[in-house]
Amino acid sequence: MEREDADGRFLALPHPPPPGEQTVWADVSPLLNAACNDLQDGELIHGENFSLFAAMSALEIMDPKMDSGMENRGYRSVEEAIENGAAPIPLSSDGTTDVQCSIDVMDHLLACEATWHKGHSLAQTVFSCIYLLRLERTSSHALLHSYCRIIRTTCNAVISVVSDARTHEEEDLFTMAYGLPLKGEGDEKCLSMLHAVEETLSRQLRACKAPSSKKKVFEDIDPLQTNTDLEEGYCKALLCRIRFRKHFYHALVCMRKPQGRGLELARKHLALCQSELACVSRSVEFLRSNAYGSCLDDVEDSTTASGCKPVGFDVSLNSRLSAPTPPRSIRLLSWKKAIEYFEKLLHDLDVICSFSLDPLLESVLHFVVQFQKSQPDLVARSHLQLLLVQEGKLYGRDPFYDVISRAIALPDVIRNQELEKNEFVVQLGQLVINLLKILCTNASWQRRKLGKILQDWSVTSIQLDLALKREFGEIPNISADENICLKLSRLLLIWAEEQTYWIASRFLMLGFDLELYSSSEYCMVYWYLYVVFIKLLEKVQLRIAGSTDTTKRKGKKKKDQNDVIRDARISPSILFIQCYLLLSEGLAMMLAALKAQHTVFQRPSVFNSEQERFLQHFELLQKAHVPDRISYLLFKESTLRANITTVMKYNYFGDAQRISKELRRSFSGDPDKLCELRQIEQVAEYNQIALNVIHQAGAHDSSLKVSLEFRHHPCFAVVTVKRN
Amino acid sequence: MEVSAESSLVPQHQSPHQSNPPTMPVSSEPNSSPFVSQVRKMLFRRMLVGVNDGRFFVGAFHCIDKQGNVILQDAVEYRSTHRSLPSPMEQRCLGLILIPASCRSSCHVDCSLEEQLSLLSLKK
Repeated sequence: MEREDADGRFLALPHPPPPGEQTVWADVSPLLNAACNDLQDGELIHGENFSLFAAMSALEIMDPKMDSGMENRGYRSVEEAIENGAAPIPLSSDGTTDVQCSIDVMDHLLACEATWHKGHSLAQTVFSCIYLLRLERTSSHALLHSYCRIIRTTCNAVISVVSDARTHEEEDLFTMAYGLPLKGEGDEKCLSMLHAVEETLSRQLRACKAPSSKKKVFEDIDPLQTNTDLEEGYCKALLCRIRFRKHFYHALVCMRKPQGRGLELARKHLALCQSELACVSRSVEFLRSNAYGSCLDDVEDSTTASGCKPVGFDVSLNSRLSAPTPPRSIRLLSWKKAIEYFEKLLHDLDVICSFSLDPLLESVLHFVVQFQKSQPDLVARSHLQLLLVQEGKLYGRDPFYDVISRAIALPDVIRNQELEKNEFVVQLGQLVINLLKILCTNASWQRRKLGKILQDWSVTSIQLDLALKREFGEIPNISADENICLKLSRLLLIWAEEQTYWIASRFLMLGFDLELYSSSEYCMVYWYLYVVFIKLLEKVQLRIAGSTDTTKRKGKKKKDQNDVIRDARISPSILFIQCYLLLSEGLAMMLAALKAQHTVFQRPSVFNSEQERFLQHFELLQKAHVPDRISYLLFKESTLRANITTVMKYNYFGDAQRISKELRRSFSGDPDKLCELRQIEQVAEYNQIALNVIHQAGAHDSSLKVSLEFRHHPCFAVVTVKRN
Repeated sequence: MEVSAESSLVPQHQSPHQSNPPTMPVSSEPNSSPFVSQVRKMLFRRMLVGVNDGRFFVGAFHCIDKQGNVILQDAVEYRSTHRSLPSPMEQRCLGLILIPASCRSSCHVDCSLEEQLSLLSLKK
């Protein structure tokens, strides 16, 4: 009986998982029940390899939060969905409706693509499209087929950019594409297919726009759809969508050309892309007014321009492929938001393409920092990174030993002489590569990584320093001019230290972007920034003095050493750092004075002391000894006696304002720098005013309400004073 | 109600049919029940478990608790691709899985014919 029962159950199954050879599946349910009854409370039956801890990580079947294969009410497979007409081809027997539905599919795919770029899985977004999952089915529908194929090819291109750049450690969902039909035969022909469709559409558009006298010429052209009044509108709506895809793909391909050779052409495609996207955006009125059937009420949330729900999409079909993430429902960006996303992406890509590929590292770093200010998304950041570091060279063009020798302004005599093989140059080159890659990642990842690589930089500096002392320490009065090796080592050391302090300043400033500091901690953060800027300034001065020393020595042999240092002091990049330094010092001292005299920003934390927070914030800097011998005690000592009168006396903000005004002339051709200078000026000006007000009101005026705002600069606060 | 974390594979609220709450194993002596020792012999064997929504899981029998929750190791999920039968099966690997007793609809073990007969005799 039992056996029959068991067999009977299996009869319902067409292909039961087979038992082993010479064995059968025996029903053990009654035995298990009996054994469970005999078990004591809490007793388990398990083997020796059992660990309760490991068992806790088991995937729980039928738990909706863990079991992605759980039966839902939807289709069980793509095939079943297709058999039930979920993705018909043509989309409708009526020509006009077919075109309308095709446009909806295209629009929804755009929303899916943007949602994917924003960090959701490919399976749950773009590949929720049944047409894409079975692309070969669509071959009879040229419009849909060519569009789906270019989408698939574009996805591939984007995945390869992101995975090649490997800047996506925390965004790794992006490149996951298990089990998805991402590649297929004929994808390389996608552009010619798209081109053919575009040709047909533009002929159809010309035909319907032609005056009646010329209609004869176009007699052999079939219209796009059946309603002549709508022909022009639909032709246009489709054309801009198709052309957008074409130029977008072209732009991506051009950007990947080695050594940035395709950037100029990429810019042209990006510009065309932007204008086509604007057309897509404008088509909304026409599509909405002619939408078929019932439309969504809330058109703002709709994923299509027409506001209609598209056919041929089913998110649940792929949920089993989204492992190892637990299945979760996602919210797609609306069509409007998707258009906005692509506008931003195109702009960001254009910024990258318009970069001059300056071989000076200082300019590269400045460009990347500036680029990151607009918070570009993963795809744009990956493109930038791949452009910067190709085959271990800057832009795939300049070897990094060359980049370094240019950065330290090495005279030609030394250049190329064994530089390539100098172990420190090799080491520093690797550090620069890492630095560039890290600067292209998202802000939070970037900050953590910058903190970590500080140690590598400072270790290299220490090694350089030791080598210098070991090799040249014993030779007294050696002239730097005469010993090329000594010169090189000295320049490398100064430069490496300069980079270390630059990284430290980025690390501290990124904390403001990420809102990691509380108002009671600003004082110590500005103090630390101030200390870092002092060291940075010192190193830049030494570097510039050193390099002008060597370059000018030839021409003006009698140039006074003091002149050289004076030259270095007034160099614009030094004055720029001076501005930051003054603002940091001014803010640190002013906040310390306010803390002491006005008892503001003094909120004691119940969780940890100020010293603990100091360590938590600056642990990575302290570990790397950046700068050396800086401690909490030193911070306390130097801010202990701060008071408003001395802050007034030192005139930090007044100086900062004056220097930034002077600097404007030096950067008249650089809008980014000018903008930064204006911000510095405003911060200085407003803080100066606040300082005056507080000073006049007297030290212990309790009616003053002091607060901090980041209105003018993301890192440098403005103190605002109000009277109660 | 005091529920020990170590006592049950599934949190208590998920098996409301269970009347008495489990506690820690009381004794360290092996359970003397013949059924329990029979099940113990089945550990590490291939087990086929069906669940309420029609799927099947095949994996190495790893553990069972008093409530009847089963853990399988290296489990593979089998699932029919169409609602209407017959249809081809789709499979994927899941690794370590826990099948709560409440959704287990069938349970089979891979064994020889002689073994099967001895299992049958137990049920009389």
